[in-house]
Amino acid sequence: MRRILGIVLGLLLIGGVLYLVAFQGQDHPETTATKTVRGVIGSEKSEFFRDPDVVKALAAKGYTVKTETSGSWAMDQLALKEFDFAFPSSSEPAKEVAAAAGLKGAQETRPFFSPLVVIARPGAAKVLADNGLARMTGKNSGTLLMGAFLKAAGEDRTWQQLPGSAAHAELTGTVFIKTTDPASSNSGALFLAATSNVANGNTVVADDAGIARTAPLMRKLISVQGALEPSTDDPFRAFISGSGEPLILVYESQVASLLMQHQDPGDMVVLYPDTTVNSAHTFVPLTERARELGALLATDPKLRELAVLRGFRPQEGVAEFTAATMPHTAYLNTGLTGIRQVGTPTVKILMALAQRAKGQGDTP
Amino acid sequence: MRPLRRRRGWIGLALAGLMTATGCSADGPAEPERSTYKDGHLRVLASSELSDMEPVLKAARAATGVSVELTWSGTLDAAEQVASGNADGKYDAIWLSSNDYLRLRPEAAGKLSSETPVMSSPVALGVKPEALARLGWKPGEVTWPAVHEAVAAGRLTYGMTDPVRSNSGFSALVSVASGLSGAQAALSDADVKAATPRLKEFFAGQKLTSGSSGWLVSAYAKRGDVDALVNYESVLLSMNRDAKGAGAPLTVVRPRDGVVTAHYPLTLLTSAPAGARDAGRALTEYLRGPEAQKAITEQTFRRPVAAGVAPAAGLDAEKRRELPFPGSRSVADGLLASYENELRRPSRTVYVLDTSGSMSEEDRIGRLKSALTDLTGSGSSGTGQRFRDREEVTLLPFGSKVKKVRTHVVEPGNPGPALDAIRGDVKSLEPDGGTAVYGSLEAAYQHLGKGGADAFTSIVLMTDGENTEGVGAGHFDSFYAALPPAQKQTPVFAVLFGDSDRKELTHIAELTGGRLFDATGTGVPPAVAGGGSLAGAFEEIRGYQ
Repeated sequence: MRRILGIVLGLLLIGGVLYLVAFQGQDHPETTATKTVRGVIGSEKSEFFRDPDVVKALAAKGYTVKTETSGSWAMDQLALKEFDFAFPSSSEPAKEVAAAAGLKGAQETRPFFSPLVVIARPGAAKVLADNGLARMTGKNSGTLLMGAFLKAAGEDRTWQQLPGSAAHAELTGTVFIKTTDPASSNSGALFLAATSNVANGNTVVADDAGIARTAPLMRKLISVQGALEPSTDDPFRAFISGSGEPLILVYESQVASLLMQHQDPGDMVVLYPDTTVNSAHTFVPLTERARELGALLATDPKLRELAVLRGFRPQEGVAEFTAATMPHTAYLNTGLTGIRQVGTPTVKILMALAQRAKGQGDTP
Repeated sequence: MRPLRRRRGWIGLALAGLMTATGCSADGPAEPERSTYKDGHLRVLASSELSDMEPVLKAARAATGVSVELTWSGTLDAAEQVASGNADGKYDAIWLSSNDYLRLRPEAAGKLSSETPVMSSPVALGVKPEALARLGWKPGEVTWPAVHEAVAAGRLTYGMTDPVRSNSGFSALVSVASGLSGAQAALSDADVKAATPRLKEFFAGQKLTSGSSGWLVSAYAKRGDVDALVNYESVLLSMNRDAKGAGAPLTVVRPRDGVVTAHYPLTLLTSAPAGARDAGRALTEYLRGPEAQKAITEQTFRRPVAAGVAPAAGLDAEKRRELPFPGSRSVADGLLASYENELRRPSRTVYVLDTSGSMSEEDRIGRLKSALTDLTGSGSSGTGQRFRDREEVTLLPFGSKVKKVRTHVVEPGNPGPALDAIRGDVKSLEPDGGTAVYGSLEAAYQHLGKGGADAFTSIVLMTDGENTEGVGAGHFDSFYAALPPAQKQTPVFAVLFGDSDRKELTHIAELTGGRLFDATGTGVPPAVAGGGSLAGAFEEIRGYQ
């Protein structure tokens, strides 16, 4: 399947290199005559673009933005001529989108990013912590110890085998993290990037030997889940509605957005994997109409502020994010303390890993 | 029953009918099928249980200006339509209980966008209080193995939809296969194989089948002797509310070892025009808002997906393990094929076929032959596309009297000979004589009375005219009343065709607990399913056999 692509994100860690195009547009005067631009975005940014304040702020700059969602790694499959921009969740799919749209040297922008986290209910988090697979750092937050966790996953550990699980009806079956489809969705692909690193002795998988070493574990992590969701919104909403799996991989922004919109996240514990790769949402203008929108999102103070309110970390915006999330440190690890950022395999290697993880010959 | 408007039929239709959010559907002539998008009017292929969303969609229209036209479809059928490209241009969006099966089709990649879960409901077991007491069950403690044990001991019977045609049945099949195989992760072929003997025992307790969860509810109410119902939690709780004290409410059991939950992702088709996708986006946004989420949970007992909106009273908060849906098409299809051909009770099906002289008009006989031949499938037929293994199929053509009674049993592993023989019998049908509807129907019941095998029995009655020969309606009513109780449970699925008498057939379907299907292709029927064509009606009836 050609939509299995690759990923390279190492450049975009906190305080990383900024890829802003020079902001060339002049301030548009306040006007009701806005131009409509259509975009395809990762589902985790949907609420940002639906936010009435964002709509207003964009209108003030002359834009009416209409969005549809898609798995970031499936965007290149869409009829891109219908869109003025694509806004996948990391930089590699952005390249694929630009290539699929026949663009050369598109002026990409990376307005904000968000780390991946695992959400759990307190019961599940406590069982993990009591069994050395996680460490609680606050009432509603903790660190997922990837080495120990992946060892357990490699041994097909079930919840029943973890002391303390019996008190919770939902904690049965193999312990796994519910991800999205690594072939079509960014968070699923990044999950493989991080876990393969750990499984490869904390080294980026760089060759066939590394693939051979890590693929069996990748296969386990993915096949145990059965059907894979196309985007993080699905498992996240399942969690909110009271169903869903005990451990779900989402973006920190999805949780932070709830908190900052004063919506009760319910009984939620946010576990930050101790080894992770960050996701830099990458804006790709596809037509002239959207050429300046990415830079606007990245630099306009009001839009940056609104992005923070939707849980995103603006580039070079540690102070903004920290200040805004001050009341929510019970859930959020604002400084990403104790979290190790690792590089990602090359596109080709990650593609091979995703294919092996999904089981070639298993999916027709 | 909700008024359904007839539409042109097409192969593989699970349940046809249109509902608009404005609720206008019972008056005026049937409109030709819309083939183009009209501004602000979203054409959606949807799961039939979403008929209860009408008030919410009405409010959505008031708030957003977007109206919705829902066309019912089963999960597999919808997957086929989307994957094959048949849905392109015909629908703007799909709104199924789940897209999990659809995503197993590689052709579906690139056809879907903006999948947005709107609400959730697990597939659960609704158990009569007396059965619960008899079994000594505490609702919060029941597991799938406990249900199996009760069924195997002959202490529990239940109704469930056909997994091949309806997602609630499919979800139940996945749940029970997971529960009985002891699978700790997503089901594999080996899990299904290991659990087969126990699954067979489990499905021996299934006394009611249906092509849709809606009809299952009414059939269940009519039967009275079935202990439990497998359906969405939302449907079970709505039943309890709507019964308004008539009949004790069912206790909703979400088995402790896990459930499969439907999340109803409203999903735009990438083939839809930009205007339709804008409309879809506006609708989705509204449905995910707090006001709509509150209305959804309070009116339909589905669980909200928006934080801060409390689930309706009666929705138990205790968590359940979510059982994984199979991750490959081979496992999913293998499970369905096992159910169809091995696990479920076999079918005994009698086709009472009007081959009177009038069937020579308008090539009616040709259409009948073609529709019946479709049911014999082809060498490569997928699950649900031909008579099942172990099925006993009887053709009973009649004119002034019963002309022939020919029975064939589809042999497992070697279905060819029986299917060939059925095709041969179909080919030899000749139009001739009058129309002895009631006498032939009585002969069909007598035929079924002779076999003792444990099976789902049903009669399909197709006639193109009113009764002109032999005994009349009164005679049949007395005949039916005098049948032994077990035989009374054989429903007649009556098919309107040509100039058949709607009143006569409605009476027969209602008396026997069957259902009326429409294959006349014109006119405006109230409360009729069918799809308009004979092939569509016959195909749809398969879900009830």
